[in-house]
Amino acid sequence: MKMIWAVIRPESAQRVIKALDIAGIGGITRIHVTGHGKEMGITLGAVHYTEIPKEMLMVVVPDNDVPKTVMIIRTEAKTGPKNTPDEGTIGDGKIFVTYVEDTFAIRSAGKAGGT
Amino acid sequence: MKLIIAVLREDRVEDTKAVLETIGIKGVTFLYVTGRGQQKGRVSARELGEPLNRNMRMQLIGARPGEGLPIDRTVDAGSPLYDDTEFSLGFLPKRMLIIVAYDEEVDRIVQGIVNANQTGRHGDGRIFICPMISALRVRTGEQGDKALS
Repeated sequence: MKMIWAVIRPESAQRVIKALDIAGIGGITRIHVTGHGKEMGITLGAVHYTEIPKEMLMVVVPDNDVPKTVMIIRTEAKTGPKNTPDEGTIGDGKIFVTYVEDTFAIRSAGKAGGT
Repeated sequence: MKLIIAVLREDRVEDTKAVLETIGIKGVTFLYVTGRGQQKGRVSARELGEPLNRNMRMQLIGARPGEGLPIDRTVDAGSPLYDDTEFSLGFLPKRMLIIVAYDEEVDRIVQGIVNANQTGRHGDGRIFICPMISALRVRTGEQGDKALS
């Protein structure tokens, strides 16, 4: 099992969720966060913003679904033309993958098989 | 050291806190999150406790009047929802709990969370156990296991 944290643009969240839905990945937790990347935020006119609103999605998937899930998030969260290897734009977000050693479904208190 | 992430029902948070206190877990972080599981946010009116009319459902999901409901197409506007009608709310409000604990505490914590949260209905939540490499207490600079004690 792997835990995937994706920090994405709020406006692309709905697209990503829909695509994950179609791929059969139902369990998603969504958190509203703010942050900035290595560009240290954005300057608009005279004002410098460092807390840029982002949406963080947390998905736990079996190991062999990880490449698929990451690819879906990447494709949908990237701005600009779809289905091209082109770069998106600064601020499209990042995807982090980490280990999950154990998963429990509270409802049945047993080991959970799915996401 | 392990990182425990649990997604819980909002109304179970107080019970969970009480249980964790009896286990002796003091450091806990709660986040307001929204989420859904394999049911994709479907709940029955029975689960919510009340037959719901459209306005109540709008309030529940935080929609403004005139915006409409995001997914539900099963019930006409204004008609009451009865107990067994299932409808989809999409992402439901949940609480995420984060605990960093010693390895040997993990089983007790998982059991405690399950005891406080299990209703047997869909939406009870999940618990994830992840490895955690280290911790540092900001106040004193203590690292590793000492930072948790």
